[in-house]
Amino acid sequence: MKVKVVTRILEANERIATENRRLFKEKGLFVVNLMSGPGAGKTSLLVRTIELLKPHLRVGVIEGDITGTEDAERIQSTGVPVVQINTGGACHLDANMIQEVLPELPLGELDLLFIENVGNLVCPAEFNVGEDMKVMLLSVTEGEDKPLKYPLMFQQSKALVINKIDLLPHLDIDMESLKERARALNRDMEIFEVSCKTSEGLESWTTYLTGLINSTH
Amino acid sequence: MHEVSIAQGILDIITANAREHGFRRVNSVSLRIGRASGVVVEALRFAFEIVRKDTIADNADLLIEEVPLGGVCLDCKNNFTTERDYILECPLCGSVSFKITQGRELEIIELDVEEEYEGKGCNKNPGGK
Repeated sequence: MKVKVVTRILEANERIATENRRLFKEKGLFVVNLMSGPGAGKTSLLVRTIELLKPHLRVGVIEGDITGTEDAERIQSTGVPVVQINTGGACHLDANMIQEVLPELPLGELDLLFIENVGNLVCPAEFNVGEDMKVMLLSVTEGEDKPLKYPLMFQQSKALVINKIDLLPHLDIDMESLKERARALNRDMEIFEVSCKTSEGLESWTTYLTGLINSTH
Repeated sequence: MHEVSIAQGILDIITANAREHGFRRVNSVSLRIGRASGVVVEALRFAFEIVRKDTIADNADLLIEEVPLGGVCLDCKNNFTTERDYILECPLCGSVSFKITQGRELEIIELDVEEEYEGKGCNKNPGGK
């Protein structure tokens, strides 16, 4: 006997992502899903971004890592609420993992929630968690070929932050070619060039974020 | 890279359908998987063999239809499909701006199951098969 099913296999994730999105909206919370490969500087970007936004906005963070609490401790030093998720081997965060930790955050007292995904340029792009937007972080040491190798991550992200530009004098990376390839995959992508070490470029990134949050409030 | 959680997702959908339709055995599961879904078919088969153990699907085959990648070009407006795993440019005009329209599927289409006769006083199939 044949039983017609026609169900998206990730439907369960999408359903929970929708529930998360509804809750975020109810609480007036803007949610950013931050994705990158390992070592691009996600936690550094968050620490610097929080320092700049803290006088104006109430920020919270969910930290996703396979194991360990080092990143959460770095965020904690900025004084904002943070929850650590250890995926125990899973290569991405999914909507269910996010839903489980939401009771641990004072959602009603926040304006902006960052979700720092597991360092991986492939799988996190496949799973919505209920975010308002995905942001991709890439460091200049990773090379200009990444848009060609990980197109989905670039297509799914609304903004691209290029970090470690203080290292440019020592590298052969072709920044124009990187930006051209990224925009080819995603015409509307906003691109920011920053250095978390020297603070260069961070202000235009935080101004962009503040503008988005104010326009949705 | 996350084929095990996808295999588990398939099994969850089978179990939910078994409750709804009252079958106790699954012969095969038909899937549609896009070439750009991020799923490696061989890894999924292997993962499913592991998660199906001791369930109503423990002999179920995966019948997989792979869907080629296709899109519509934002410059020349043509629809196209390709045999490649990734599209980097429109195969017709070479533009790098396009929208993907197919090839990201990850769906269960149908289940082939053994009908349940037991307890209904109508055992048409005494061999149990």
